[in-house]
Amino acid sequence: MVVKNKDFKKLKPQGMQSMIMIVFSSISITIMLILSVLLYFRFSASSRQEITGSTQKLMEQAGENMEDYLVSMRQISDTVYYNVIKENDFSDQDNDIQQGMKLIYEANKSNLRSIAIYNNYGSLMGAEPVVLQKEDPNVTKQGWYEQAVGEMENMHFSTPHIQNLFDDAFRYYWVISLSRVVELTDGGVPQSGVLLVDMDYSGISRMMKQMNNQNNGQYFYLCDSSGEIIYHPRQIQINNGIFNESSEKAAVCKDGIYDEFFEEEHRKVLVNTISYTGWKLVGVIPYSVFTHGMFDIRYFIVLLILLMAMMLGVVSRVVSVRISSPILKLNASVMEYEAGEQPEIYIGGSMEIRHLGDSIQRSYEQIDTLMHKIVLEQTERRKSELDALQSQINPHFLYNALDSITWMIEGEKNDEAVFMISQLAKLFRISLSKGRTVIPVSDELQHAQSYMNIQKIRYKNSFSFVQDVEPEICSYCTVKLILQPILENAINYGVNGMDEDGEIKVTGRVEDGKIIFAVTDNGIGMTEDEVRFLLTDGSRIRKHGSGVGLVNVNNRIQLLFGDEYGIRVESEPDEGTTVYVCIPAVPYTEESRKTLEAGRTFGGEGLDEE
Amino acid sequence: MFILTEAVLAVLAILVSVAMLWGKNGEEHNKVSVIIRNSDDSRWAAFRYGLSMAAQDQGVEVFVVNTGEILSAEEEYEALEQEINNGADAVIVQPVPGNRTEELLKRTGKKIPVMLVECPAAKEEEISGNVVVKPDNYALGKALAEELLSDYSGHLEGKTFGIVSEGEISGAVSEREAGLCAVLEEQGASRRWSISVSPVKEEEPVLEKMAKTDFVIALDDYSLVLAGKAAEARNLHGALVYGIGNSMEAVYCLDTGYVRCLVVPDDFNMGYQSLTEAAESLGHIFKKPQSRNVSFTVMRRDTLFTKENQEILFTMSQ
Repeated sequence: MVVKNKDFKKLKPQGMQSMIMIVFSSISITIMLILSVLLYFRFSASSRQEITGSTQKLMEQAGENMEDYLVSMRQISDTVYYNVIKENDFSDQDNDIQQGMKLIYEANKSNLRSIAIYNNYGSLMGAEPVVLQKEDPNVTKQGWYEQAVGEMENMHFSTPHIQNLFDDAFRYYWVISLSRVVELTDGGVPQSGVLLVDMDYSGISRMMKQMNNQNNGQYFYLCDSSGEIIYHPRQIQINNGIFNESSEKAAVCKDGIYDEFFEEEHRKVLVNTISYTGWKLVGVIPYSVFTHGMFDIRYFIVLLILLMAMMLGVVSRVVSVRISSPILKLNASVMEYEAGEQPEIYIGGSMEIRHLGDSIQRSYEQIDTLMHKIVLEQTERRKSELDALQSQINPHFLYNALDSITWMIEGEKNDEAVFMISQLAKLFRISLSKGRTVIPVSDELQHAQSYMNIQKIRYKNSFSFVQDVEPEICSYCTVKLILQPILENAINYGVNGMDEDGEIKVTGRVEDGKIIFAVTDNGIGMTEDEVRFLLTDGSRIRKHGSGVGLVNVNNRIQLLFGDEYGIRVESEPDEGTTVYVCIPAVPYTEESRKTLEAGRTFGGEGLDEE
Repeated sequence: MFILTEAVLAVLAILVSVAMLWGKNGEEHNKVSVIIRNSDDSRWAAFRYGLSMAAQDQGVEVFVVNTGEILSAEEEYEALEQEINNGADAVIVQPVPGNRTEELLKRTGKKIPVMLVECPAAKEEEISGNVVVKPDNYALGKALAEELLSDYSGHLEGKTFGIVSEGEISGAVSEREAGLCAVLEEQGASRRWSISVSPVKEEEPVLEKMAKTDFVIALDDYSLVLAGKAAEARNLHGALVYGIGNSMEAVYCLDTGYVRCLVVPDDFNMGYQSLTEAAESLGHIFKKPQSRNVSFTVMRRDTLFTKENQEILFTMSQ
């Protein structure tokens, strides 16, 4: 049973306000979370596109710059070849050749390291700037020379290398060699040679460094068509095996954007081909660059969610209070009504709740009206019953009294008959009491006295009758004719048949707001069973007397004063019987009489065991 | 319940805001200072390039303290203290030879991580608790001797050699000398003389005053360039020069034929590894930096411009 109670507590329905708030908050937060996630992914994708797009633009721009740079180098090579070498003979015009080369070199020396012409044996035919050639540079075995001779129709760009041709005291230059086979004339004899234009590597590395100045993880490198690195921000680390690069893979890719998983890292690779050289300008954006950019956004979105949740909490609170408040007020007024108070039923809030309140109000009004009607009907009914019960007395008693008078007159006991008739007149006057049901105790006692006077005559004073009543009780209210039936029973079942020792005593006192009458006889008494059935079954006592039993008296008292009042009987066989009558101590006034007759009781406690 | 929920949300919002602000302010890089003797000298070019590459990879700031030719233990300590006061999170130091150095470095090592470079093996044991990144000096000397040996097909009986070195870095030089002599003297060559030269003294033609030998072996960059210049001036009585060096001047001497063989310690890696170890020890509380030996390369005139050697020259010419 205890477990059941616990379960019941768990399942106890939430308050309406909490329910509305929980549901509203849950729905709002769910929608907000979904929106936040969608927003984050949308923003993330857009940011990724933006980074990729800007990188692509940067690469295109850099690629164009590099192409311009390389084109200008090729133009230098063309100019030297077509304007200087082809126009002059090395045997007698070497000064013009030198002058021409000098002019071109001076015009472009910011990007140039040297211009040199070698014949097909690898001997230096001319160079600008003029510096001492190394002892034996072994030109024909150098890469640029071999490349030029290998494919005579093309110009060739080498990868960066140290220029190993001239002696410039401790200085070594990093160059990219542009070499081509040229036709030169020496002493009128045409022969082939190689024109070498050494570009300063710093020109390209400067361009690449500018691109790589972002310190966010993305970087750019340059490689040739075979994947050999021309420039890489981590070139030495790659050479030392500290860092790896997928340049060979990038070298075979067409221009575009690729996703790659390399060295345990997802990254975007952008490839842009430099015209003519076949070099690839490659941009690498590790995915960590995107997430790094999104780091602040994540915090921002979390902060936004928290603030929104706070705000939604407040809003849902306000909304739930607004919706539930009229219903809660209505509920409170109904509960007060149920508790017995008579509050005004709350009518307010939205139209539906107003209608509900109005309906409840009208229902309660109707219930009140009906209740009042029922009470009136009940009172009428009770009054009718009371009247019916009282009316049972008169024929019996009248019959007996008249019978006694008849006997007296027949026995010529005129004085006694007169006394009897006068007592009978008093009796009837009080019995009628102008149709009243409630009379003063003094009248009731007078009625009892008259009755006993009549009975004493009838029974030839075979018993004695004593009244011992506190005088103050005479001014209280009582139902009329409640002592007479008890006295009648006391005579018939108590003292009747005794010689001259019969005694009937009526006492009356006020006790705890109640009036207690006691009618005591010293007659034959009753057994417990007889006492038990005395008040429950009126039909059993019909052997003697008027036939109006104690049941009648008890019913009348309870009908008028309530169930807590009435009659209690104590009896002992051969000892006698005492009948207690308990009624409320209500002072007799016209008002109290009317109140009691109207059916309203004054309350009080029941008949105590004495 | 409502107030409690709102309070919890408010506290979370404050925490997130603080984390945002802390994240923005917390992007300051660690700073590593480097104290090396004669820091502007071209022999440190590859080392400095290694430092800058490692700084880029590790996301730290590196600052090379400008020092002169001579650096005493006290001056070095003063420089160290100054760098620490300036907010250095770690230092890379080339320890000055001398007994004071050990004591001073121990004092510093308790405050911030200290990495040592070019520290002789003997010192490494003494300066306990510090991490050393250096070439294996004994192996350097030995490799040089083996090159000489291979030039003469292992027949060095009766050959003589003189050793020239810079006195100030005596610890490393003595190890190189030990490695060198262990091979040469075993093969029958004899050391005729051994001299120390100093860059601070006025340059005197010291080598031409030395007795004639078959080989002059220079054990460091400064003395190698000096010997190369002497050979160029034909002041070595025809002796062939072998040596250990790491500057473009030394390379030039090889290129012009005044030096027969050059052994080049990998200074790029010395710089790169020392800074990487320092940065990683700063970034990870439980990571202990480890001592490392860097490799070396043997260069000959005919192989000077191979692809591999050009990569080394690239670091030296930065």
